[in-house]
Amino acid sequence: MTAIGLSYAPGDTVVHRLDARTKLLGQFVVALLAFTWTDALALPVVWALVVGGMALARVRLRSVFPGYALPFVLLAFATLTRTVTLGPPWVDVDAGLAATLHSLRVAAILLASAVYVQTTPVSETQAAISRLVPGKPGRFLAAGTSFVLRFLPVLLADLQSARAAQQARLGDQRRLHERMQTVALAGLNRAFERADRFSLALKARCFAWNPTQPRLSFSRTDWLVSAGFVGLLAVAALA
Amino acid sequence: MIETRDLVKTFDGVPALDGLSLTIPDGEFVVLAGPNGSGKTTLVRHFNGLLEADAGEVLVDGTPVQDDLVAARVAVGMVFQHPRDQFVAATIGEEVAFGPRNLGLPHHEITDRVADALDAVGLGGRDEERVAALSGGEQERLAIAGALAMRPAHLVLDEPFTGLDAPAQAAVRDRLAALKAAGTSVVVVTHDLRDVADLADRVVVLRDGTIAADGDYDAVHERLPDLGVRQP
Repeated sequence: MTAIGLSYAPGDTVVHRLDARTKLLGQFVVALLAFTWTDALALPVVWALVVGGMALARVRLRSVFPGYALPFVLLAFATLTRTVTLGPPWVDVDAGLAATLHSLRVAAILLASAVYVQTTPVSETQAAISRLVPGKPGRFLAAGTSFVLRFLPVLLADLQSARAAQQARLGDQRRLHERMQTVALAGLNRAFERADRFSLALKARCFAWNPTQPRLSFSRTDWLVSAGFVGLLAVAALA
Repeated sequence: MIETRDLVKTFDGVPALDGLSLTIPDGEFVVLAGPNGSGKTTLVRHFNGLLEADAGEVLVDGTPVQDDLVAARVAVGMVFQHPRDQFVAATIGEEVAFGPRNLGLPHHEITDRVADALDAVGLGGRDEERVAALSGGEQERLAIAGALAMRPAHLVLDEPFTGLDAPAQAAVRDRLAALKAAGTSVVVVTHDLRDVADLADRVVVLRDGTIAADGDYDAVHERLPDLGVRQP
């Protein structure tokens, strides 16, 4: 089963109905605020945006974790290693706090990206990028982004099935590095085979760099939401 | 019409097709059978220029395939053995629209084609459903819809029944029968004739990259077991 966290989930929420360009702007604003706005107010505002976006888009944490488990585990691990020291005083509160804040910023960006991916069809992302970046660079960027969004969930599912197949034959009794090696190797092999078949299928269906793009329409809601994002950026700049 | 003339293809010095000539007229339902490694998949991938022959030529409606690859790929729709690998979108409607969008068609034409193709495979009105949630049989039918949306004159299906349970096989088979009735040329690649023998106008059996038998089912069925093909 494909991890929903990294692919589009059809729906009719207000976030689903927003233009892809508005949502891309939202992504950009969340990332910018998370890392450039150092005020004490910054993190609560960023998280309010992300949690609000998730609620409006009806994106559940449970659906996000399959796709983002690894980065979340790495963030937790990084925070832990910064907090705990190997000698006295054993716990470095200042370093731990800094690492926690940093991890919360990254986690907010990841969740914002999950909201975007789950509410925006790949073809609309492709269309939005093509319009925002004119000419050939835009077409290459749009097609590249769409390939990543299309291929990544399948790749992840392959890794999960390789892991399950390994566990079914008691592979989980082996040492961690052996397990990682086996899953990575099997996953890579499958990824290459799948990439070959995927590229053949694209050719068979006349893949074009300049396909008919879906219609994008900037509604009144899009203008309002975009104005809100720009306003937030202005507040952050003045703070 | 699809025509191959003296087709030769080798992979790392091993011959896959050995001077193979075959003509598939419009409207014919052809079963391309043979054991694993006999050259079936290699042959059909020449029909729309996914593979280029070492020697010989392939013509679709009288035009050499390599002269106009896009025309060949529109004329010869192809459904691959592992349908999941050819999906490019998360929803059914987006998936079927992929090919017509690549052709640069206007929006209303794309909408019409998607609706027609989904109706033809019994998935009409399910545009917004997730591809990942479909059963194996539904995924196969979706892959067929993706090919049909290109409005091909010929439809090639590579092992369409592999991995499907009996009801799913029956559903795919019914759709192929409907396509045949509508006059679409259908080429089914298989090593097991049990699912399609009664639909076939003609059975072509390959062995070692050459045609070992060619005729209607009654004419060839006695030879099939010796050629490594399962039959009803």
